[in-house]
Parts: sequence; C-alpha cells; structure tokens
Amino acid sequence: MHIDFLLDGFRANHTKDAVVWREQVVSYGWLADAVDRWGRSLADAAPGTVVSLEGDFSPNAIALLLALVERGCIVVPLTSSVEMKKPEFRAIAQVEAIVSVSADDQARPAHTAARPSHELFTRLRSAQHPGLVLFSSGSTGKSKAAVHDFVPLLEKFKVPRHALRTLTFLLFDHIGGVNTLLYVLSNAGCIVTVQDRSPEVVCAAIEKYRVQLLPTSPTFINLLLASEAYKDHDLSSLELVTYGTEVMPESTLTRFRQLFPGIRLLQTYGLSEVGILRSQSRSSDSLWVKVGGEGFETRVVDGMLQIRAQSAMLGYLNAPSPFTPDGWFPTGDAVEVDGEYLRILGRPSEIINVGGEKVYPAEVESVLLCMEGVKDVTVSAEANPITGQIVAVKVSLSTGETLPEFRRRMRIFCRDRLSGFKIPQKVLIVDEKMHGERFKKMRRAS
Amino acid sequence: MKPELVSLILNAVQELGEHNGVPLPTALDGDTPLFGRDGLLDSLGLVTLVVAVEQAIEDELGVSVSLADERALSQRASPYRTVGALADYAGSLIRAAA
Repeated sequence: MHIDFLLDGFRANHTKDAVVWREQVVSYGWLADAVDRWGRSLADAAPGTVVSLEGDFSPNAIALLLALVERGCIVVPLTSSVEMKKPEFRAIAQVEAIVSVSADDQARPAHTAARPSHELFTRLRSAQHPGLVLFSSGSTGKSKAAVHDFVPLLEKFKVPRHALRTLTFLLFDHIGGVNTLLYVLSNAGCIVTVQDRSPEVVCAAIEKYRVQLLPTSPTFINLLLASEAYKDHDLSSLELVTYGTEVMPESTLTRFRQLFPGIRLLQTYGLSEVGILRSQSRSSDSLWVKVGGEGFETRVVDGMLQIRAQSAMLGYLNAPSPFTPDGWFPTGDAVEVDGEYLRILGRPSEIINVGGEKVYPAEVESVLLCMEGVKDVTVSAEANPITGQIVAVKVSLSTGETLPEFRRRMRIFCRDRLSGFKIPQKVLIVDEKMHGERFKKMRRAS
Repeated sequence: MKPELVSLILNAVQELGEHNGVPLPTALDGDTPLFGRDGLLDSLGLVTLVVAVEQAIEDELGVSVSLADERALSQRASPYRTVGALADYAGSLIRAAA
C-alpha cells in the first residue's frame, strides 16, 4: 500500500529500462516482479522490524528496499563506504535483521539479538509507517543516525516529473542517493549504476549508456577536471549536472562552464535530517540559489539557514533533537541573502580565525584551485600562539615543484586575489586523496 | 651557526618583502628590528615569517623546531625583536634538539 503508486508505474512501463547494472539491463517489469517476490519472502517479518540493507545500487538491493518499505519495515541502508563502522551503526540503529546483498547481487538474511526499543521506532510502529535510518557522513564530527518516516518522504515523488537517464553517483545509504533512486523510479527513468566512482569509470558509463543526469559533488567535479578523463569519452549525452553536499569553489564552476557550455548546472541543497530541497540556481555560472519548493520553508536567523520540512526526520537515535521549539532545523550553514536567493558560505565551525579576521576555507581553496598544476587542495586551521590560528593548506600537485618553489609561486599568485591574512601561511605538499567515500572533503584533523 | 641562521632569516624576510608587499629598509642585518618597536612586521607578517623560517630550517638543516609556541612567547626578551634575536633563539632550539 505504501508504494502502490510506484508499482502501478512499474507495471505501466514494464518494457522500459529500469536499472543498468554491470552491463545488464533490467526492465520495470522485472523490478515489479522482484518486489513481489521479495514481499512474499518477507511475509514472516513483522511490520516495524528494523532491517539493515547492506549493499549498493543493484537490481535486488533496489527491489528489497521497496519490498521492505511496502512491508512497513524500518530500513537502515549501509554501504561498503562505512564497512569499518557497520557493527557500530547496527548497534546504534538496534538492527534486528541484516540483509546483505553481495557484489553479485545475491541476498542473504541474518538475525541479531537486538530488541529495538527506541522511542522513535515505537512512534513509527504505532503509526504503522515504514521508516528509514540514515547516518550523516560525520565529516565534521560523529555520525548521527537520522530516523525518517518513509510516508512523508515518499509524498513528493507522487507528483509526476520528467525523468532522465541518471547515474547513481551518490551512495545508496545517503539521502542524495535515496532521493535520486526514488525520483528516477517514480518517473520511469533509468538508473545507471557504477561499481567504482572514479572519473574514468564515471565518464565511461556516461558515454556507454548515454547518461543525461549526473548528481554529484563539487569535489568530484574538481577531480573530473583535474583528471581530464572527460577528454577520452563522449559526454555529449549529459544535459544536467547537479551538485550539493558542500560549498562549490567559484573557480571550479567557472572552469566547468568553459569546458561544458552545453551542460546545465544545478546546485541542490539537502541534508540527512530534512531531505533534498528543490533548488534553482540564478544561472549556471552562479553560486546564488533559491532553495525550497513544496513542503519546505526556509528562514535565515543570525546569518544561519534554518529549514522547516514536511519530510523532516523525526529525530536522531543517538543525539538530542536539533529542532527549534517551533520545528525548524538549524542547518549550521552560514548564508548570504540577496532577495530570495541565498549563497551558502559554509560551516562557521570551519571558519579560520586569524588574529580576529575570519577566513572561509572554501574561498581560499577556490583561488588555489585556479593555479596551474594544482590537483586538489584542503584548507584548514592550524593553532598558532601568535594569531590564535593560521591558514594551513594541504595541496597535491602535478608539477613536481619543491615546497619553496610552490610557496613562492602561491604567494605571488594569491597576492592580488586574497587579502594577506587569507594567504596560507603554512603549506604541505601531499600525495594522498583528500576526500572520503562520499566525495566530500575531510577537513577534520585525522 | 649564527651567521648561517641570520642569512637564512634574512632570505625569508626578503621573500616576504617581495611577495607580501612589506616595505623593507635598504640595509638588512642582524640588528634589523622585526616585531615590536620599529619592527617591520605586523602579527600576520610575523606568523608568516616564523613559519617560513621553520620550514627553511627543516629543509636546509634537517631539524624540526617550533619558533612560535608558548615558550617563545614567554621568553623574558622576545625572540622576535630583531633578526639576530630570532637567530639566537632558533640556534638554542637547534642545539637542544641535537
């Protein structure tokens, strides 16, 4: 009953391609049958059972997700990106049953001794609603488990929209990945999955399956530009690239626009806690966006964005409720406001305070990324007894320069582009990658 | 060791002057004031210089020292007064590390 509108669509489009997975294509007819099949084998599972679904985007994992929702279960998707944390996450989510879907798309169930008692689970059970538990990436701290009621989450997908052939770049256990999946399936679009999220593999999949929409992150767009993987592949099918989850460096936006004038860019704004807001960039080369849409309200309090959403989570399993008494979620993002448009500056917790002057890492990163031979940069604060903090940068280079050579070139380059206090005082040349599995920068000290 | 450190610091001061637009006097030597009375640098310039000197000492002498920490700031005579004072302070840390 919860996903009738999806299943009706699947039957009506039974010959259309639903999922491309490892060179195989499954149709909507196959998917509808698979959901039925899994539904029958779940007949023993009581509604409200907390089930971890461990896998990635694959035909059976997708069918299982839908069957578990239909059964009224509380689903905890986990991917291999959190492999080391799985035992901890299962314990936090009080997982009673584990369904793991292997790399060859075989599902295996297992049971645990947990007896879920969390108050948020009790609420879902008494409403007889399916649930969803998503762990935040924890790039700035501890991972929090957000509990959603699946019923309002599904609501916005009942409005028919235009679906494109979409590459599932964002992860299966991420709000962006879940959103992409439901959006495409509810509009009978096609999902193209990848086993590896490197620029080379992503570009090859776009070319081979004529992908039209790539939802991704600014970090991946940087990697794409730096790797030049786009030169070896025909990306002419690509119509739209959406990016969210972190601040877009202005320089990356400009370079992307120059290389791909025909591709529309759209910033999305989403959080595990409230879902994905529809957003509208002022133009493809603008960082100003209008966010909101039906079911969402936004307001700015003391320069910080707050959101009220019908599809907001019920709360965290492992942290106090973050909502204001009148139900707004403080995003923690500082924003500038221009009429109805917003520009997202970033997290004040990442602001570097150099002798009282404030520096946003994203601005400095944006300038450094314009330098020839700079593959990637991460700017962060370093404690210093003279000015409190200084601006430190880790940079990966393709030029083979020594540190003094690069530092000299960087100072000259930045002189006319950044105020003196924003020019990194400390430079470290590194060889390692600077993002996690979710392609977000990791600024926290490791 | 001191003349070597003085010249290393003067190089860093020169570089700072060229690239960060700090106006420098024509003659630079061990007595050149850095920070404080008649000093060439503001606090940001000082931080930048100190980090550059630390990195140069590490590159050229293979020793890692911290020239800006609580101990440096609690010296009776500031190690940042002049080029020579900074060279003396760096020298004492390098000897202690050896």
